[in-house]
Amino acid sequence: MSKVSKKVKVMTAQEAVKKFVFDGSVIGMGGQNISRCAVALAHEIIKQSKKDLTLTGCNLSIHMDLMVGAGLVKKCESGLGGLGRFGATFQFKRAIEEKRMETEDFDHLTMVSRFLAGEMGIPFIPVRGLLGSDILNYQAASTGKKFEIISNPWNQQERVVLVPAMDPDVTIVHVQKADEIGNVLIQGIANHEPELIRASKTTIVSCEEIVSTNFFRSNSDYTTVPYHYIDAVVEQRFGAYPTATYGYYSFDTDHINYYQQCARAGGEEYRRYMNEYIYECETFDDFLEKCGGIKKVTHLEREMLRLM
Amino acid sequence: MEKQYSENYSREELMVIEASRFIKSTDTVILGTGLPVVAAIFAQKTHAPDVNFVVESGSIDPILPFAPLTVADPIIGHMAVKTGSLREVLGCLVQRCLVDIGFLGGAEIDQFGNINSTYIGDPRSPKVRFPGSGGANCIASCVPRILIISVHEKRRFPVRVQFITSPGYIDGPDGRKKAGLKMDQPDIILVTDLCVMQINPDTGRLELTKLMPGITIDKVYENTGFKPKLRGKIEEVEVPTERELKTLRDEVDPDRVYLKGSSNQQKT
Repeated sequence: MSKVSKKVKVMTAQEAVKKFVFDGSVIGMGGQNISRCAVALAHEIIKQSKKDLTLTGCNLSIHMDLMVGAGLVKKCESGLGGLGRFGATFQFKRAIEEKRMETEDFDHLTMVSRFLAGEMGIPFIPVRGLLGSDILNYQAASTGKKFEIISNPWNQQERVVLVPAMDPDVTIVHVQKADEIGNVLIQGIANHEPELIRASKTTIVSCEEIVSTNFFRSNSDYTTVPYHYIDAVVEQRFGAYPTATYGYYSFDTDHINYYQQCARAGGEEYRRYMNEYIYECETFDDFLEKCGGIKKVTHLEREMLRLM
Repeated sequence: MEKQYSENYSREELMVIEASRFIKSTDTVILGTGLPVVAAIFAQKTHAPDVNFVVESGSIDPILPFAPLTVADPIIGHMAVKTGSLREVLGCLVQRCLVDIGFLGGAEIDQFGNINSTYIGDPRSPKVRFPGSGGANCIASCVPRILIISVHEKRRFPVRVQFITSPGYIDGPDGRKKAGLKMDQPDIILVTDLCVMQINPDTGRLELTKLMPGITIDKVYENTGFKPKLRGKIEEVEVPTERELKTLRDEVDPDRVYLKGSSNQQKT
Protein backbone atom coordinates (compact mmCIF):
# COMPACT_ATOMS: atom_id res chain seq x y z
CA MET A 1 0.00 0.00 0.00
CA SER A 2 1.24 3.47 -0.79
CA LYS A 3 2.28 5.49 2.24
CA VAL A 4 0.76 8.54 0.59
CA SER A 5 -2.90 8.93 1.38
CA LYS A 6 -5.54 11.21 -0.03
CA LYS A 7 -8.15 10.29 2.54
CA VAL A 8 -9.73 12.70 4.99
CA LYS A 9 -7.32 13.24 7.90
CA VAL A 10 -9.31 15.56 10.11
CA MET A 11 -9.28 14.59 13.77
CA THR A 12 -9.01 16.13 17.22
CA ALA A 13 -5.67 16.97 18.80
CA GLN A 14 -6.32 14.21 21.31
CA GLU A 15 -6.84 11.61 18.58
CA ALA A 16 -3.86 12.81 16.54
CA VAL A 17 -1.40 12.73 19.45
CA LYS A 18 -2.70 9.32 20.56
CA LYS A 19 -2.25 7.95 17.07
CA PHE A 20 1.10 9.45 16.06
CA VAL A 21 3.15 10.40 19.16
CA PHE A 22 4.72 7.69 21.30
CA ASP A 23 7.05 7.43 24.27
CA GLY A 24 10.55 7.87 22.85
CA SER A 25 9.42 9.70 19.68
CA VAL A 26 11.73 12.14 17.93
CA ILE A 27 9.48 15.17 17.46
CA GLY A 28 10.05 17.85 14.83
CA MET A 29 9.05 21.24 16.17
CA GLY A 30 7.57 23.90 13.91
CA GLY A 31 7.40 27.61 14.68
CA GLN A 32 10.05 30.08 15.72
CA ASN A 33 10.20 31.91 19.05
CA ILE A 34 7.02 34.04 19.12
CA SER A 35 5.49 32.93 15.83
CA ARG A 36 3.34 29.94 14.95
CA CYS A 37 4.51 27.58 17.68
CA ALA A 38 2.33 24.46 17.81
CA VAL A 39 1.21 25.21 21.36
CA ALA A 40 -2.16 23.40 21.23
CA LEU A 41 -0.46 20.21 20.05
CA ALA A 42 2.28 20.57 22.67
CA HIS A 43 -0.41 20.93 25.38
CA GLU A 44 -2.00 17.71 24.19
CA ILE A 45 1.32 15.82 24.25
CA ILE A 46 1.82 17.05 27.81
CA LYS A 47 -1.68 15.97 28.84
CA GLN A 48 -1.09 12.52 27.38
CA SER A 49 2.28 12.46 29.13
CA LYS A 50 4.35 11.05 26.27
CA LYS A 51 7.79 10.40 27.72
CA ASP A 52 11.48 10.21 26.76
CA LEU A 53 10.98 12.56 23.85
CA THR A 54 13.67 14.04 21.64
CA LEU A 55 12.75 17.47 20.30
CA THR A 56 14.37 18.74 17.14
CA GLY A 57 14.08 21.91 15.09
CA CYS A 58 15.86 25.21 14.60
CA ASN A 59 14.68 27.68 17.22
CA LEU A 60 13.04 25.64 19.96
CA SER A 61 10.78 27.99 21.82
CA ILE A 62 7.93 28.13 24.33
CA HIS A 63 6.30 24.86 23.22
CA MET A 64 9.63 23.08 23.77
CA ASP A 65 10.01 24.75 27.16
CA LEU A 66 6.56 23.54 28.24
CA MET A 67 7.38 19.94 27.31
CA VAL A 68 10.76 20.12 29.04
CA GLY A 69 9.12 21.69 32.09
CA ALA A 70 6.63 18.81 32.17
CA GLY A 71 9.60 16.44 32.45
CA LEU A 72 8.92 14.63 29.17
CA VAL A 73 12.06 15.46 27.20
CA LYS A 74 15.32 13.51 27.34
CA LYS A 75 17.14 15.38 24.57
CA CYS A 76 16.95 18.52 22.42
CA GLU A 77 18.74 18.60 19.09
CA SER A 78 18.55 22.04 17.53
CA GLY A 79 20.12 25.34 16.59
CA LEU A 80 18.95 27.22 19.66
CA GLY A 81 16.59 27.32 22.64
CA GLY A 82 15.24 30.74 23.49
CA LEU A 83 12.51 33.34 23.28
CA GLY A 84 14.34 36.34 21.78
CA ARG A 85 13.67 39.55 23.65
CA PHE A 86 11.44 37.65 26.12
CA GLY A 87 14.55 35.95 27.45
CA ALA A 88 15.85 32.43 27.87
CA THR A 89 13.70 29.33 27.72
CA PHE A 90 14.20 28.88 31.44
CA GLN A 91 13.06 25.28 31.87
CA PHE A 92 15.38 24.25 29.02
CA LYS A 93 18.25 26.22 30.54
CA ARG A 94 17.73 24.75 33.98
CA ALA A 95 17.34 21.17 32.72
CA ILE A 96 20.72 21.46 30.96
CA GLU A 97 22.48 23.14 33.87
CA GLU A 98 21.14 20.47 36.25
CA LYS A 99 22.09 17.75 33.76
CA ARG A 100 18.57 16.39 33.58
CA MET A 101 18.45 16.68 29.80
CA GLU A 102 20.90 16.14 26.94
CA THR A 103 21.39 18.61 24.12
CA GLU A 104 22.97 18.19 20.75
CA ASP A 105 23.87 21.64 19.49
CA PHE A 106 24.14 22.62 15.86
CA ASP A 107 23.33 25.89 14.12
CA HIS A 108 20.17 26.76 12.22
CA LEU A 109 21.56 26.21 8.72
CA THR A 110 22.96 22.82 9.71
CA MET A 111 19.60 21.74 11.13
CA VAL A 112 17.64 22.87 8.07
CA SER A 113 20.24 21.19 5.84
CA ARG A 114 19.72 17.97 7.80
CA PHE A 115 15.97 18.23 7.21
CA LEU A 116 16.68 18.94 3.53
CA ALA A 117 18.71 15.72 3.34
CA GLY A 118 15.91 13.92 5.17
CA GLU A 119 13.21 15.15 2.79
CA MET A 120 15.22 14.07 -0.24
CA GLY A 121 16.00 10.65 1.17
CA ILE A 122 19.78 11.14 1.06
CA PRO A 123 21.85 10.04 4.07
CA PHE A 124 23.97 13.15 4.74
CA ILE A 125 24.70 16.65 3.47
CA PRO A 126 27.68 19.05 3.54
CA VAL A 127 27.66 22.48 5.18
CA ARG A 128 30.28 25.23 5.14
CA GLY A 129 29.78 26.40 8.71
CA LEU A 130 30.75 24.73 12.01
CA LEU A 131 34.47 24.51 11.03
CA GLY A 132 36.72 25.81 13.81
CA SER A 133 33.88 26.01 16.33
CA ASP A 134 33.39 24.12 19.59
CA ILE A 135 30.03 22.93 18.25
CA LEU A 136 32.12 20.15 16.67
CA ASN A 137 34.16 19.50 19.82
CA TYR A 138 31.31 18.46 22.08
CA GLN A 139 28.45 16.04 21.66
CA ALA A 140 25.81 14.36 23.75
CA ALA A 141 26.61 10.89 25.11
CA SER A 142 23.66 9.38 23.25
CA THR A 143 24.65 10.82 19.86
CA GLY A 144 26.48 8.43 17.58
CA LYS A 145 28.70 9.99 14.96
CA LYS A 146 27.89 13.69 15.00
CA PHE A 147 29.79 14.81 11.87
CA GLU A 148 32.63 14.10 9.49
CA ILE A 149 35.00 16.64 7.92
CA ILE A 150 36.00 15.77 4.36
CA SER A 151 37.80 17.34 1.43
CA ASN A 152 35.63 18.14 -1.54
CA PRO A 153 36.33 15.20 -3.91
CA TRP A 154 36.39 17.66 -6.85
CA ASN A 155 38.60 20.23 -5.12
CA GLN A 156 40.91 18.79 -2.50
CA GLN A 157 41.76 22.23 -1.06
CA GLU A 158 38.19 22.75 0.06
CA ARG A 159 36.90 21.32 3.33
CA VAL A 160 33.28 20.78 4.33
CA VAL A 161 31.45 19.26 7.28
CA LEU A 162 29.11 16.36 6.58
CA VAL A 163 26.11 16.02 8.87
CA PRO A 164 23.55 13.20 8.92
CA ALA A 165 20.01 13.55 7.55
CA MET A 166 17.34 14.15 10.17
CA ASP A 167 13.92 12.59 9.67
CA PRO A 168 11.82 13.01 12.82
CA ASP A 169 9.24 10.37 13.76
CA VAL A 170 6.50 12.98 13.94
CA THR A 171 6.40 16.72 13.35
CA ILE A 172 3.97 19.15 14.98
CA VAL A 173 3.25 22.43 13.17
CA HIS A 174 0.64 25.13 13.34
CA VAL A 175 -0.35 26.79 10.07
CA GLN A 176 -2.91 29.23 8.73
CA LYS A 177 -4.87 26.99 6.39
CA ALA A 178 -5.18 23.33 5.49
CA ASP A 179 -7.77 21.23 3.73
CA GLU A 180 -9.17 17.97 5.06
CA ILE A 181 -6.72 15.78 3.15
CA GLY A 182 -3.69 17.77 4.36
CA ASN A 183 -2.71 20.36 1.76
CA VAL A 184 -1.09 23.12 3.78
CA LEU A 185 -0.67 26.88 3.40
CA ILE A 186 1.89 28.70 5.54
CA GLN A 187 1.59 32.47 5.20
CA GLY A 188 4.39 34.89 6.04
CA ILE A 189 7.79 33.55 7.06
CA ALA A 190 8.09 29.79 6.69
CA ASN A 191 11.19 29.23 8.88
CA HIS A 192 12.54 25.67 8.58
CA GLU A 193 9.10 24.13 8.32
CA PRO A 194 8.77 23.17 4.62
CA GLU A 195 11.90 21.00 4.90
CA LEU A 196 10.96 19.73 8.37
CA ILE A 197 7.47 18.62 7.33
CA ARG A 198 8.64 16.83 4.21
CA ALA A 199 11.48 15.12 6.12
CA SER A 200 9.25 13.72 8.86
CA LYS A 201 7.91 10.18 8.87
CA THR A 202 4.55 11.59 9.99
CA THR A 203 3.20 15.12 10.50
CA ILE A 204 0.35 16.50 12.58
CA VAL A 205 -0.75 19.91 11.41
CA SER A 206 -3.03 22.16 13.41
CA CYS A 207 -4.59 25.05 11.49
CA GLU A 208 -6.57 28.20 12.01
CA GLU A 209 -9.12 27.07 9.46
CA ILE A 210 -9.92 24.14 7.26
CA VAL A 211 -10.58 25.22 3.68
CA SER A 212 -11.86 23.25 0.73
CA THR A 213 -9.49 21.28 -1.46
CA ASN A 214 -10.73 23.46 -4.29
CA PHE A 215 -9.06 26.42 -2.54
CA PHE A 216 -5.72 24.73 -3.30
CA ARG A 217 -6.70 23.27 -6.67
CA SER A 218 -7.67 26.69 -7.98
CA ASN A 219 -4.64 28.46 -6.43
CA SER A 220 -1.98 25.77 -6.51
CA ASP A 221 0.83 28.24 -5.83
CA TYR A 222 -0.69 28.65 -2.34
CA THR A 223 0.30 25.10 -1.40
CA THR A 224 3.33 25.22 0.90
CA VAL A 225 3.33 21.41 1.14
CA PRO A 226 0.87 19.05 -0.52
CA TYR A 227 -1.12 16.37 1.33
CA HIS A 228 1.49 13.65 0.65
CA TYR A 229 3.40 14.55 3.80
CA ILE A 230 0.51 15.11 6.21
CA ASP A 231 -1.12 12.50 8.44
CA ALA A 232 -3.47 14.46 10.68
CA VAL A 233 -5.29 17.79 10.33
CA VAL A 234 -6.51 19.40 13.53
CA GLU A 235 -8.66 22.50 13.32
CA GLN A 236 -7.78 24.74 16.25
CA ARG A 237 -8.44 28.45 16.18
CA PHE A 238 -5.67 30.35 18.00
CA GLY A 239 -3.70 27.10 18.16
CA ALA A 240 -0.37 28.96 18.39
CA TYR A 241 -1.47 31.22 21.27
CA PRO A 242 0.31 32.86 23.11
CA THR A 243 2.58 33.05 20.04
CA ALA A 244 1.42 34.79 16.85
CA THR A 245 -0.05 33.48 13.63
CA TYR A 246 0.65 35.87 10.79
CA GLY A 247 -2.52 37.23 9.23
CA TYR A 248 -4.67 36.07 12.15
CA TYR A 249 -3.46 37.34 15.52
CA SER A 250 -0.41 38.78 17.24
CA PHE A 251 1.48 37.29 20.17
CA ASP A 252 0.29 37.93 23.73
CA THR A 253 3.05 39.84 25.50
CA ASP A 254 1.30 39.56 28.87
CA HIS A 255 0.87 35.82 28.82
CA ILE A 256 4.39 35.18 27.49
CA ASN A 257 5.81 37.39 30.23
CA TYR A 258 3.70 35.58 32.82
CA TYR A 259 4.87 32.20 31.55
CA GLN A 260 8.48 33.42 31.62
CA GLN A 261 8.05 34.57 35.20
CA CYS A 262 6.73 31.15 36.25
CA ALA A 263 9.31 29.23 34.20
CA ARG A 264 12.13 31.28 35.67
CA ALA A 265 10.88 30.83 39.22
CA GLY A 266 10.39 27.07 38.74
CA GLY A 267 9.22 24.91 41.64
CA GLU A 268 5.74 25.52 43.01
CA GLU A 269 5.11 28.58 40.84
CA TYR A 270 5.81 26.61 37.68
CA ARG A 271 3.74 23.64 38.81
CA ARG A 272 0.86 26.01 39.48
CA TYR A 273 1.11 27.37 35.94
CA MET A 274 1.15 23.88 34.44
CA ASN A 275 -1.82 22.77 36.52
CA GLU A 276 -3.92 25.83 35.94
CA TYR A 277 -3.19 26.35 32.25
CA ILE A 278 -2.67 22.82 30.98
CA TYR A 279 -3.68 19.89 33.19
CA GLU A 280 -6.90 21.49 34.43
CA CYS A 281 -7.98 22.56 30.93
CA GLU A 282 -9.91 19.81 29.25
CA THR A 283 -9.55 21.43 25.83
CA PHE A 284 -7.35 24.12 24.30
CA ASP A 285 -10.47 26.29 24.08
CA ASP A 286 -10.72 26.06 27.89
CA PHE A 287 -7.12 27.30 28.07
CA LEU A 288 -7.96 30.22 25.76
CA GLU A 289 -10.97 31.03 27.94
CA LYS A 290 -8.73 31.15 31.01
CA CYS A 291 -6.32 33.48 29.26
CA GLY A 292 -8.99 36.08 28.60
CA GLY A 293 -11.25 34.40 26.06
CA ILE A 294 -12.95 36.27 23.26
CA LYS A 295 -11.92 39.67 24.60
CA LYS A 296 -8.25 38.76 24.61
CA VAL A 297 -8.15 37.06 21.22
CA THR A 298 -10.13 39.86 19.59
CA HIS A 299 -7.54 42.28 20.89
CA LEU A 300 -4.74 40.14 19.41
CA GLU A 301 -6.59 39.96 16.08
CA ARG A 302 -6.78 43.77 16.01
CA GLU A 303 -3.07 44.00 16.80
CA MET A 304 -2.36 41.80 13.80
CA LEU A 305 -4.63 43.88 11.56
CA ARG A 306 -2.69 46.96 12.59
CA LEU A 307 0.51 45.34 11.32
CA MET A 308 -0.90 44.35 7.96
CA MET B 1 22.89 73.24 7.21
CA GLU B 2 25.12 72.90 10.22
CA LYS B 3 24.72 69.75 12.26
CA GLN B 4 23.00 70.24 15.60
CA TYR B 5 24.92 67.93 17.89
CA SER B 6 23.18 66.65 20.97
CA GLU B 7 24.58 66.36 24.47
CA ASN B 8 21.56 64.53 25.68
CA TYR B 9 22.37 60.95 24.71
CA SER B 10 23.29 57.78 26.56
CA ARG B 11 26.44 55.79 25.73
CA GLU B 12 24.22 52.87 24.79
CA GLU B 13 22.42 55.02 22.24
CA LEU B 14 25.69 56.22 20.79
CA MET B 15 26.94 52.62 20.63
CA VAL B 16 23.97 51.72 18.44
CA ILE B 17 24.35 54.80 16.25
CA GLU B 18 28.10 54.23 15.81
CA ALA B 19 27.50 50.60 14.80
CA SER B 20 24.94 51.76 12.23
CA ARG B 21 27.57 53.99 10.58
CA PHE B 22 29.35 50.89 9.25
CA ILE B 23 26.29 50.09 7.11
CA LYS B 24 26.10 51.53 3.60
CA SER B 25 23.07 51.87 1.35
CA THR B 26 24.55 49.31 -1.05
CA ASP B 27 24.92 46.58 1.62
CA THR B 28 22.92 43.43 2.11
CA VAL B 29 22.69 42.91 5.86
CA ILE B 30 21.47 39.86 7.76
CA LEU B 31 19.61 40.92 10.88
CA GLY B 32 19.79 39.09 14.19
CA THR B 33 18.07 39.83 17.47
CA GLY B 34 18.57 42.67 19.91
CA LEU B 35 20.57 45.87 19.59
CA PRO B 36 21.96 44.96 16.12
CA VAL B 37 18.43 45.21 14.74
CA VAL B 38 18.07 48.67 16.25
CA ALA B 39 21.33 49.77 14.61
CA ALA B 40 20.34 48.34 11.24
CA ILE B 41 16.89 49.92 11.18
CA PHE B 42 18.38 53.20 12.31
CA ALA B 43 20.75 53.02 9.31
CA GLN B 44 17.80 52.37 6.97
CA LYS B 45 15.95 55.40 8.34
CA THR B 46 18.95 57.73 8.13
CA HIS B 47 22.08 57.39 5.99
CA ALA B 48 21.41 54.05 4.25
CA PRO B 49 17.82 54.15 2.91
CA ASP B 50 18.45 51.53 0.23
CA VAL B 51 20.10 48.97 2.50
CA ASN B 52 18.77 45.47 1.87
CA PHE B 53 17.85 43.39 4.92
CA VAL B 54 17.45 39.66 5.06
CA VAL B 55 16.29 37.77 8.15
CA GLU B 56 16.97 34.12 9.01
CA SER B 57 13.30 33.28 9.49
CA GLY B 58 12.82 33.92 5.76
CA SER B 59 12.05 37.61 5.33
CA ILE B 60 13.79 39.13 2.31
CA ASP B 61 14.21 42.89 1.95
CA PRO B 62 11.55 44.01 4.44
CA ILE B 63 11.03 47.69 5.26
CA LEU B 64 10.70 47.71 9.02
CA PRO B 65 8.81 50.63 10.57
CA PHE B 66 10.28 49.92 14.03
CA ALA B 67 12.61 47.40 15.69
CA PRO B 68 10.95 43.97 15.93
CA LEU B 69 11.12 41.96 19.16
CA THR B 70 12.58 38.83 17.58
CA VAL B 71 13.49 37.46 14.15
CA ALA B 72 10.02 35.89 14.03
CA ASP B 73 8.06 38.94 15.18
CA PRO B 74 5.02 39.14 12.86
CA ILE B 75 6.26 42.56 11.67
CA ILE B 76 9.42 40.95 10.28
CA GLY B 77 7.92 40.42 6.83
CA HIS B 78 6.61 44.00 6.52
CA MET B 79 6.81 45.16 2.89
CA ALA B 80 9.28 42.35 2.14
CA VAL B 81 9.80 41.38 -1.51
CA LYS B 82 9.48 37.80 -0.33
CA THR B 83 8.65 35.94 2.83
CA GLY B 84 10.58 32.77 2.23
CA SER B 85 12.24 30.17 4.40
CA LEU B 86 15.23 29.82 6.66
CA ARG B 87 17.07 27.71 4.09
CA GLU B 88 16.59 30.40 1.48
CA VAL B 89 18.23 33.05 3.67
CA LEU B 90 20.93 31.15 5.58
CA GLY B 91 21.59 28.61 2.84
CA CYS B 92 21.11 30.34 -0.49
CA LEU B 93 22.21 33.84 0.57
CA VAL B 94 24.52 33.59 3.61
CA GLN B 95 26.28 30.27 2.88
CA ARG B 96 26.91 31.40 -0.70
CA CYS B 97 28.49 34.63 0.59
CA LEU B 98 25.84 36.86 -1.03
CA VAL B 99 25.40 38.82 2.20
CA ASP B 100 27.81 41.71 2.99
CA ILE B 101 27.30 42.31 6.69
CA GLY B 102 26.31 40.10 9.60
CA PHE B 103 25.40 41.58 12.94
CA LEU B 104 26.11 39.42 15.98
CA GLY B 105 26.20 39.57 19.75
CA GLY B 106 27.09 37.10 22.45
CA ALA B 107 27.82 36.39 26.08
CA GLU B 108 31.59 36.47 25.51
CA ILE B 109 33.80 37.93 22.77
CA ASP B 110 37.55 37.36 22.84
CA GLN B 111 40.66 39.05 21.36
CA PHE B 112 40.36 36.94 18.18
CA GLY B 113 36.75 37.99 17.65
CA ASN B 114 35.41 34.55 18.60
CA ILE B 115 31.91 34.62 20.06
CA ASN B 116 30.39 32.43 22.76
CA SER B 117 26.63 32.22 22.97
CA THR B 118 26.34 28.67 24.30
CA TYR B 119 28.07 27.79 27.59
CA ILE B 120 29.94 29.19 30.56
CA GLY B 121 31.95 26.44 32.24
CA ASP B 122 32.71 22.95 30.93
CA PRO B 123 30.00 22.10 28.39
CA ARG B 124 29.78 18.60 29.89
CA SER B 125 28.90 20.14 33.21
CA PRO B 126 27.97 23.73 32.43
CA LYS B 127 27.61 26.53 34.93
CA VAL B 128 25.41 28.57 32.65
CA ARG B 129 23.58 27.66 29.46
CA PHE B 130 22.86 30.40 26.91
CA PRO B 131 20.49 29.97 23.95
CA GLY B 132 23.08 28.57 21.50
CA SER B 133 24.10 29.41 17.96
CA GLY B 134 20.88 30.06 16.09
CA GLY B 135 22.01 31.44 12.75
CA ALA B 136 25.17 32.97 14.22
CA ASN B 137 27.70 30.24 13.44
CA CYS B 138 26.80 30.15 9.79
CA ILE B 139 26.87 33.96 9.59
CA ALA B 140 30.28 34.18 11.32
CA SER B 141 31.60 31.46 9.01
CA CYS B 142 30.43 32.89 5.68
CA VAL B 143 29.90 36.68 5.84
CA PRO B 144 32.82 38.98 4.91
CA ARG B 145 32.09 41.68 7.48
CA ILE B 146 30.88 40.98 11.01
CA LEU B 147 29.64 43.74 13.29
CA ILE B 148 29.38 42.92 16.98
CA ILE B 149 27.59 45.13 19.47
CA SER B 150 28.15 44.52 23.15
CA VAL B 151 28.03 46.34 26.44
CA HIS B 152 31.63 46.64 27.63
CA GLU B 153 32.34 44.49 30.69
CA LYS B 154 35.57 42.75 31.63
CA ARG B 155 33.96 39.32 32.01
CA ARG B 156 32.43 39.62 28.53
CA PHE B 157 35.81 40.23 26.87
CA PRO B 158 38.19 37.46 27.99
CA VAL B 159 41.49 36.46 26.38
CA ARG B 160 39.73 33.31 25.11
CA VAL B 161 36.02 32.54 25.09
CA GLN B 162 35.02 29.41 27.01
CA PHE B 163 33.18 28.01 24.00
CA ILE B 164 33.53 29.08 20.37
CA THR B 165 29.96 29.17 19.08
CA SER B 166 30.80 31.47 16.17
CA PRO B 167 34.39 31.63 14.95
CA GLY B 168 36.37 34.83 14.67
CA TYR B 169 40.05 34.27 13.85
CA ILE B 170 39.97 31.27 16.24
CA ASP B 171 43.59 31.38 17.55
CA GLY B 172 45.49 33.74 15.26
CA PRO B 173 45.86 35.09 11.72
CA ASP B 174 45.73 31.63 10.08
CA GLY B 175 43.12 30.20 12.42
CA ARG B 176 40.26 30.26 9.95
CA LYS B 177 42.34 28.98 7.07
CA LYS B 178 43.62 26.05 9.17
CA ALA B 179 40.06 25.20 10.17
CA GLY B 180 39.07 25.16 6.48
CA LEU B 181 36.78 28.17 6.42
CA LYS B 182 36.47 29.49 2.89
CA MET B 183 35.86 33.04 4.13
CA ASP B 184 39.30 33.15 5.73
CA GLN B 185 39.87 36.87 6.35
CA PRO B 186 36.61 38.58 7.28
CA ASP B 187 36.52 42.06 8.74
CA ILE B 188 35.33 42.02 12.35
CA ILE B 189 34.27 45.20 14.10
CA LEU B 190 33.32 45.36 17.77
CA VAL B 191 31.34 48.39 18.94
CA THR B 192 30.86 48.78 22.69
CA ASP B 193 29.64 51.54 24.96
CA LEU B 194 33.32 52.43 25.63
CA CYS B 195 35.06 52.04 22.29
CA VAL B 196 35.36 50.58 18.80
CA MET B 197 37.77 47.72 17.99
CA GLN B 198 38.55 46.24 14.60
CA ILE B 199 40.32 43.02 13.65
CA ASN B 200 43.81 43.17 12.19
CA PRO B 201 43.91 40.25 9.71
CA ASP B 202 47.72 40.10 9.98
CA THR B 203 47.59 39.32 13.70
CA GLY B 204 44.05 37.93 13.91
CA ARG B 205 43.46 40.19 16.90
CA LEU B 206 41.12 43.05 17.72
CA GLU B 207 42.74 46.50 17.89
CA LEU B 208 41.41 49.66 19.48
CA THR B 209 40.45 52.23 16.85
CA LYS B 210 38.06 54.71 18.49
CA LEU B 211 36.92 55.83 21.91
CA MET B 212 33.50 57.01 23.03
CA PRO B 213 33.54 60.69 24.10
CA GLY B 214 35.05 61.09 27.55
CA ILE B 215 36.44 57.54 27.70
CA THR B 216 40.18 57.02 28.15
CA ILE B 217 42.37 54.19 26.86
CA ASP B 218 43.04 53.20 30.47
CA LYS B 219 39.34 52.89 31.12
CA VAL B 220 39.08 50.47 28.17
CA TYR B 221 42.05 48.46 29.45
CA GLU B 222 40.55 48.30 32.95
CA ASN B 223 37.37 46.83 31.54
CA THR B 224 38.82 44.39 29.02
CA GLY B 225 40.21 40.92 29.76
CA PHE B 226 42.77 41.21 26.96
CA LYS B 227 44.96 44.16 25.97
CA PRO B 228 44.05 45.41 22.50
CA LYS B 229 46.80 47.14 20.51
CA LEU B 230 46.15 50.73 19.50
CA ARG B 231 45.64 51.31 15.79
CA GLY B 232 47.16 54.61 14.65
CA LYS B 233 45.71 57.77 16.06
CA ILE B 234 42.74 56.90 18.27
CA GLU B 235 39.79 59.04 17.25
CA GLU B 236 36.73 59.96 19.21
CA VAL B 237 33.34 58.60 18.12
CA GLU B 238 31.22 61.36 16.62
CA VAL B 239 28.36 62.34 18.89
CA PRO B 240 24.82 62.06 17.48
CA THR B 241 22.82 64.96 16.16
CA GLU B 242 19.50 65.97 17.69
CA ARG B 243 17.80 64.68 14.61
CA GLU B 244 19.51 61.28 14.79
CA LEU B 245 18.49 60.88 18.41
CA LYS B 246 14.92 61.79 17.61
CA THR B 247 14.80 59.19 14.86
CA LEU B 248 16.29 56.55 17.14
CA ARG B 249 13.93 57.23 20.02
CA ASP B 250 10.69 58.11 18.28
CA GLU B 251 10.81 55.83 15.25
CA VAL B 252 13.20 52.92 15.70
CA ASP B 253 12.53 52.07 19.34
CA PRO B 254 9.38 54.04 20.23
CA ASP B 255 8.33 51.72 23.06
CA ARG B 256 11.84 51.75 24.55
CA VAL B 257 12.09 47.99 24.25
CA TYR B 258 15.80 48.14 23.61
CA LEU B 259 17.16 51.47 24.77
CA LYS B 260 16.20 52.76 28.15
CA GLY B 261 18.49 55.74 28.51
CA SER B 262 17.57 59.07 27.08
CA SER B 263 19.34 61.46 29.41
CA ASN B 264 22.87 62.01 30.66
CA GLN B 265 22.74 59.22 33.18
CA GLN B 266 25.29 57.07 31.42
CA LYS B 267 27.61 59.83 30.35
CA THR B 268 30.99 59.87 31.98
